[in-house]
Amino acid sequence: MELSRRTVLAGGFATLLGGTLVGCSSSMDTGSTKKNAGGNLALWCWPGGLGKSVLDDTVAHFPDQNIKYSEVGGDFKQKLLTTFNGGSSIPDITGVKGEDIASLLPQANRFVDLKTIGGDALLGDYLEWKVKQATTLDGKVLGIPIDIGPTALFYREDIFAAAGLPGDPAEVAEQLKTWDDFLAAGVELRKANPKAPIVADATDLYGTVVNQGTSRYIDKDNRFIGDQDHIRKAWDTAVKAITLKVDGRALGGSPDWNAGLDQGTVPTVTGAAWVALDIKAACKTSAGKWRVAATPSGPANFGGSFLTITKNAADPAAALEVIKYMLSADNQAKAFADAQIFPSAPAAYDKPQLKAADPFFGGQAPIEVFGPAAKNIPVAYEAPLDAAIAVHGIKLVQAGKKTSDAAWAEAVAKAKQIGKRQGVQ
Amino acid sequence: MTLTATTPTRPAGTAKPGRRRGIASYWRFYLALSPFYLIFLVFGLYPVASTILLAFQKWDGLGPRKLVGLQNFGFLIEDSTFWLSLWNTVVLFAMSTVPTLVIAMTLAVMLHSAVRFKGVYRIAYFIPNITSLVAAAIFFAAIFSTNFGLINSGLRALGLPTEDWLRQPWGIKIAISTMIVWQWAGYNTIIYLAGLQAIPTEQYEAAKVDGAGPFRTFFQITLPQLRPVVLFTVIMSTIGGLQTFTEPQVMVGNAGGTGQSGMTVVMYFYNQAFFNNDYGYAGAIALSIFLLVLLFTAINWRLLGGRGRR
Repeated sequence: MELSRRTVLAGGFATLLGGTLVGCSSSMDTGSTKKNAGGNLALWCWPGGLGKSVLDDTVAHFPDQNIKYSEVGGDFKQKLLTTFNGGSSIPDITGVKGEDIASLLPQANRFVDLKTIGGDALLGDYLEWKVKQATTLDGKVLGIPIDIGPTALFYREDIFAAAGLPGDPAEVAEQLKTWDDFLAAGVELRKANPKAPIVADATDLYGTVVNQGTSRYIDKDNRFIGDQDHIRKAWDTAVKAITLKVDGRALGGSPDWNAGLDQGTVPTVTGAAWVALDIKAACKTSAGKWRVAATPSGPANFGGSFLTITKNAADPAAALEVIKYMLSADNQAKAFADAQIFPSAPAAYDKPQLKAADPFFGGQAPIEVFGPAAKNIPVAYEAPLDAAIAVHGIKLVQAGKKTSDAAWAEAVAKAKQIGKRQGVQ
Repeated sequence: MTLTATTPTRPAGTAKPGRRRGIASYWRFYLALSPFYLIFLVFGLYPVASTILLAFQKWDGLGPRKLVGLQNFGFLIEDSTFWLSLWNTVVLFAMSTVPTLVIAMTLAVMLHSAVRFKGVYRIAYFIPNITSLVAAAIFFAAIFSTNFGLINSGLRALGLPTEDWLRQPWGIKIAISTMIVWQWAGYNTIIYLAGLQAIPTEQYEAAKVDGAGPFRTFFQITLPQLRPVVLFTVIMSTIGGLQTFTEPQVMVGNAGGTGQSGMTVVMYFYNQAFFNNDYGYAGAIALSIFLLVLLFTAINWRLLGGRGRR
């Protein structure tokens, strides 16, 4: 075994930095907007982002456009950014996920402002608050929403009824109007059934309450407002769930959460429409026992995505036609039937695919809850850096490591520090 | 470079190599070697250089880059999360490397003396190393989960109190380091085994004649003979351990879990770059990891006496 200091260090150097950061950076000039050649229309989306039948139908409907669809798995945003930086093979139309759109708004010059190619006429068909997410502060519209993620309260009717809580969705919505009502019901549920904490996870609850608000962590003047009352209210709600001992600590998607859904130790989920797929996948014995009711204290949005046209598109107007067809109310209803892609066009809510009763939810038609929720989601300004400086720290309270006030002070200080680095006042 | 046939032939035995031929005349060999160097240049050296450059810039991943001098490093020094992630990384490294190497050595010595099914054991020990990290991390998260986890079920069956592993700062570290031990013990076992097999049997026979017991034989013959192999595994573990990323990311999420106690430096760097779009700052963090690996390697080298063993 021959080892010299030099070879070892060189090896370490290569292993260390080799695979890390700059595989994804570039040396290209930004703003290179070489147009794609006409003839083919490249379309990018992630797996399951567009309904299969809708996609096939759209490709067939525009034979002249010769649509080339690429399903891009993995970290979609990262691959899109890398391609932008590379400067070639940039798609004409690309999907952008809801959680990424805010951070792409400052790069508006990479995308076509849909208003400049006659997209205004289309925007009225979609939910206003969702379009706003893809609108820059100076009014450029970068995307048409593919879908949205209105939240609701999924709950186990059998477990609620056994504990003397109402089982009927309308009654649940009536009695659990606010988070305080919800937590009070949780205390009752705990008395009757100690194994069924009403809050799946207090950390998730915190996020939901933040999403229900009309402001987030940064305001339009780029000032940090994450230490103000609207966030503190979300924090206190989550802490209340912990102190009332109705917090199940089963983080969404974790093994405990998955097993708990079917076994009754996670009797409720507050989540977006698409969470229904996860619940259905996890439940074998409890199918038919689930119901959907309105989210306590009002609906919120979680997820949802957009189709955008890049500056490289050979023919932006033709691309817009494709988007218009693909995201028509009829096609959105089809995509919902295909893959639970929840429509962003309210007209789709009256289509038979959405009105259908769902045996998993005991014959309830979930759209009766999600439809009104979708229309009433509050509009909150989401700054490009919002996700970066979100206030985290509930987990320390949850684990009993810190008092609520101490954890709050620490979390706010950390968020401010990141904000300061990124130029937030 | 231009020294070709005109270079006079030196007599053998002088300080410089005996004969010199021009690089050009070796072109076949260089051509044969070139794929590695070309690939290294594109995927190794260029990213390294670019990362170093990036550490002095501010870049959001798409817009123009701005030179900011040492600003990123200034932030690094006052960034409490960075120091926390550094501490976590070092603790995780210590908690995983020491058990890994002790277990690997024990297994290797046992395998070395075992007679039957050697090949089967070797494969069995090596399998964790080639298992998909993400799949393994999901599996370990399930083992350590609170209500339906294997460990807590075991504790419950024995009437012992259960622990909320993945929500307690120390529980998170134990879960992560357990997984690292599981994954790397077998790999190091195979390397130790190879080293063991290279020790001449005469030495053991001589020890036997001199009346040395198994422990004495191990500490006076096996271990000293294995020193370069141990050095190799320690350094490889250092490089790997200081770059721990996938295990905590899958087990406790991007934010690092309760009190960010599962946040490692590489995770922090990943979050800054690909989550917060702060590529310049991430470059600075990457450089700091590099310096850290350098420091630890140098320490290991001194401790294990790599000096002068050429």
